[in-house]
Amino acid sequence: TSAAGTGSRNSILVSHRQKGNPLLKHIRNVRWAFADVICDYVLGQNACALYLSLRYHLLHPDYLYFRIRELQKNFKLRVVLCHVDVEDVVKPLLEVTKTALLHDCTLLCGWSLEECGRYLETIKVYENKPADLIQGQMDMDYLSRLNHALTALRHVNKTDVVTLGSTFGSLSHIMDASMEDLARCPGIGERKVKRLYDTFHEPFKRAV
Amino acid sequence: MVQFHEHIIGDLLEDPSGGLVILSAGLGLPKLISSLLLLHDPSQGSVLILNASPSQKNSIEITSQISSSSAAASITADLAVNHRLSLYTSGGIFFITARILIVDLLAQRLPITSVAGIILLNAHSISDTSTEAFIVRILRSSNRSLYVRAFSDRPHAMVSGFAKAERTLKCLFLRKLHLWPRFQVYVSQDLERDPPQVIDIRVPMSPHMIRIQKAVIEVMDACLKEMRKSNKVDVEDLTVENGLFKSFDEIVRRQLDPIWHTLGKRTKQLVSDLKTLRKLLDYLARYDAVTYLKYLDSVRASESFRSVWIFAESSYKVFEYAKKRVYHFGLSNIEKSVGLSKTASIRKRKLDESNKGGDDSSASANSSLVLEEILEEPPKWKVLREILVEIQEERQKQAMAGEELIVEGEDNQNGNILVACKDECSCMQLQDCITKGQRKVMREEWEKYLTSKVELQALPKSKQKKTKAPKGFGILDGITPSVSGQKSEVTSIGKQENDALLAAAYEISKQAKKDTVVKEVVTSEGRGKGRRNETKKKKSNIGKTNPQPETSIQSETPSKHEDEIIDHNAPESEHLGKRVLRKHDPGPENTSQLPSVYFHALESDQSILDILQPSVIIVYHPDMAFVREIEIYKSENPSKKVKVYFLFYEDSTEVQKFEASIRRENGAFESLIRQKSLMTISVGQSYPVPAHLAPFVMLDIHRLTLNCLDEQFLGESSFLDPQSVTAQNLITRKAGGKKVAEKEMQVIVDMREFMSSLPNMLHQKGMRIIPVTLEIGDYILSPLICVERKSIQDLFGSFSSGRLYHQVEMMSRYYRIPVLLIEFSQDKSFSFQSANEISDDVTPHNIISKLSLLVLHFPRLRIVWSRSLHATAEIFATLKANQDEPDEAKAIRVGVPSEDGIIENDVRAENYNTSAVEFLRRLPGVTDSNYRSIMDGCKSLAELALLPIEKLAELMGGQKAAKTLREFLDAKYPTLL
Repeated sequence: TSAAGTGSRNSILVSHRQKGNPLLKHIRNVRWAFADVICDYVLGQNACALYLSLRYHLLHPDYLYFRIRELQKNFKLRVVLCHVDVEDVVKPLLEVTKTALLHDCTLLCGWSLEECGRYLETIKVYENKPADLIQGQMDMDYLSRLNHALTALRHVNKTDVVTLGSTFGSLSHIMDASMEDLARCPGIGERKVKRLYDTFHEPFKRAV
Repeated sequence: MVQFHEHIIGDLLEDPSGGLVILSAGLGLPKLISSLLLLHDPSQGSVLILNASPSQKNSIEITSQISSSSAAASITADLAVNHRLSLYTSGGIFFITARILIVDLLAQRLPITSVAGIILLNAHSISDTSTEAFIVRILRSSNRSLYVRAFSDRPHAMVSGFAKAERTLKCLFLRKLHLWPRFQVYVSQDLERDPPQVIDIRVPMSPHMIRIQKAVIEVMDACLKEMRKSNKVDVEDLTVENGLFKSFDEIVRRQLDPIWHTLGKRTKQLVSDLKTLRKLLDYLARYDAVTYLKYLDSVRASESFRSVWIFAESSYKVFEYAKKRVYHFGLSNIEKSVGLSKTASIRKRKLDESNKGGDDSSASANSSLVLEEILEEPPKWKVLREILVEIQEERQKQAMAGEELIVEGEDNQNGNILVACKDECSCMQLQDCITKGQRKVMREEWEKYLTSKVELQALPKSKQKKTKAPKGFGILDGITPSVSGQKSEVTSIGKQENDALLAAAYEISKQAKKDTVVKEVVTSEGRGKGRRNETKKKKSNIGKTNPQPETSIQSETPSKHEDEIIDHNAPESEHLGKRVLRKHDPGPENTSQLPSVYFHALESDQSILDILQPSVIIVYHPDMAFVREIEIYKSENPSKKVKVYFLFYEDSTEVQKFEASIRRENGAFESLIRQKSLMTISVGQSYPVPAHLAPFVMLDIHRLTLNCLDEQFLGESSFLDPQSVTAQNLITRKAGGKKVAEKEMQVIVDMREFMSSLPNMLHQKGMRIIPVTLEIGDYILSPLICVERKSIQDLFGSFSSGRLYHQVEMMSRYYRIPVLLIEFSQDKSFSFQSANEISDDVTPHNIISKLSLLVLHFPRLRIVWSRSLHATAEIFATLKANQDEPDEAKAIRVGVPSEDGIIENDVRAENYNTSAVEFLRRLPGVTDSNYRSIMDGCKSLAELALLPIEKLAELMGGQKAAKTLREFLDAKYPTLL
């Protein structure tokens, strides 16, 4: 129907096979509806997902393979959503990993139904979202940026950033500080002084 | 050489395969190693020294240079491959890092038979997955006559975890464990034959210090109680005494790591709070009142609002008393008189000065408000001065009495005086105390404290100040309202207090401007002197430049001329060397009653005693290892009179910590002795089989232990036989039992990955490891499969920096099957977060959101979730099963920017100052596309800090980016107030 058609664009389509899966209770931020689909969940025009509980996999080791084989090729992103619900994971997870990898599926693991549900929701919600969130472009305030830069150095913590900032007044002064001045800062010990100083004064490219 | 060192070496040499030596901290490990190196004969092959810390390396170099002709050199990545090869075969002694060695071993650049043995330091840091163990396994598998001599002087680190000592022995293929505690008979005999004269001075803390200490301990105790309530940690370990040590964090972390994700935010916060509190206790004894207050301010400004301790009743006291040690701020006359009487009771001598300061500032501030400077001096300062005066008087007396006795060629009059402090910071401060006087130093610290506030405040005035002041109240006096309840009044007081502080600071800066001319003269003079007095006593320098300067330094009085000579001789670039030691010559005008004094920072970890040969040692900050060093020094120089002063704060955690460290070490040794008696080490301990047979050993190992016990005993008896029966057996077993593997599996591994243990695991699985420098990916499993490995911590970090996105992008561009390997750690939980941490709706910063976004943008990316290193190795083997072997030459070329014309065959990682590059890339305006040209056009970050905007625009390819960066660099750091 047309109503279902318009609704389906903004909701997750769930296969009838998933009826009774407690996971459905945890899809709350996105609408979902049962539909005749081959995969377990249609998450968008290009994305679909199969749900697999590791416990189930241990009982039916071939299940995943047959389900993947049924999938059409018209989804770019094919997720195997693996619910890690057994203690001894290494062997079954190895099998699932291998099957997913060799048959062009992306494996995502969740340790609880909430987490699995959240993956489904997120992929649907972010369907058309640009990647800037993970491209490291931050338009943050001065302090966070300063923290971000200075804590790139190992063992430099936020307290040190405050100490350095309030002692030297600006980042360029910190970068240009002498070893002695750095050593005068409370809480900054010998090794940290050396690490800071070397980072700032050693050339980017070492002479070969 | 101390006698017990001879014993240690004797014992160690008994077993030609080597052994593990654990000795007490401070018992002269570097000297022991140097003596051991003396026995080396180049005809046997080279000796490789692994895992030495920079300071250990330095001390070993110093001691071995003096005593032997075959000095130890270093093999670094800077050396060309050919050069390294010739060094390996030269039969010399070399320091080398595990990373270089393993790469050279795997690339088969190192003829294994040319190695006589390995000396491995800091054995406590070794585990069966560490690279050092990997190296030993490879070396041992084809060179049976090689020895491995491992050392550790951190016994308490050898008892952390289950049967650590035994496991360490096993992974190094060693059988002998040698324990040398301080209480061992030979050691104590040696050291107590003629002990130095010790004067233990207990300095009472000031009343405020006592109160602060009490308050911090109260908070600490409260935090510990809270931890106990969580029922997550072994209660026995949760004591305040344990809390004094750094290792406490490790104890707690080790217990909590497996369940870290199930912990609430509160418990996690408690763990970090305890760490902060430990530092507060430590610094209380170390820093002066003003610096302490400054540190507290920093802590408070950086501490998150979640912090539990900051809101505890007692921590309010910490801040309050810390402030009271520095200044008093009160209302009008009544308050003032109270303040005055307090000052008087604390420190009478300060009365007039604090009065003066108070008057100054009160005049400028509100008429009814008074800001009084109290500036309490650390009680140890006075005592230190008294000791120095006493020493000088004694010496003068001796000189007067004509007792210029030459006691066995030693001039007692001029014996060096050494003051040992924990850190460089204290050294400089104490030096100032002696030259300028204590009061002046406190005053300067106070002025610095104030000006650091005012400078930052001096932005646009009117508006800034109005908005800052109430905020300042929140930070500086955040607790007051909840305690007093009289919110409005206190608010105004807090605000006025800030205003008064600022006013005082302005006063100072004004004064400073007026006095600039005068001051400049003074400071430049003072500085010039200071610089001249900074002798460079780093032995290696002197040794190189001057054949026998050592004797001259010792025999002559340290005079200014001498210092100058040394200064000229030493190369100027040695920053660290300069800071090793600072010497102070009292100026004639200042403090003629004080003798000249050397200062030494314990943190710098240099073997100062032998160089300086002091006759008086003042241990300003007590430290167990340093006490032992003094004992060794004394027993090596039995004729020398050595007087040692210990300065403890009475009833302080400083004493407690010192005593506890001894108890803790003894406890560790007792436990090690017990473990040793129960060890089953020689059973089942055999040489490793060659790498390509390893998988069969793994498969057969349990069968071996079940069925072939007699075979194993055979193997054991032939322990030192190069044609080990065990290995032989395995070969035949393999031939009969299993089909021979068709081909050896190969994995191409990026050089940088040798920091992790995965290459080791893969090798144990029988794969051939080819180390190269990869531009893209960490592991190449096949021509199609490229893997980027991320530990959980890395994963979070590289998501937020954007690095992961970039890496995946590159992998997807060049490989058909790009793989992101998410590797969990065996001893931590296998999950991202606990169920209760999942918020109600989709939030952009959750890891789930980021991963989802990543897979949406890179649908071809394959994700591998691995429980542990071991699991990863297995997964790799499985993934490779039906694939071709990767091509080394191809892998190297992939992704290397050809337009730059750089064809990299060399160890890239070694050629970059990686932390500087990472720092640079995190600066605003710097992007993936312009950071390389910045590095080309500018040598270092320090240089970048000074580049004008035009030059930046040129390098960064745009005015906008340059402006962003320049503004960020020069932005005024916002004030704490």
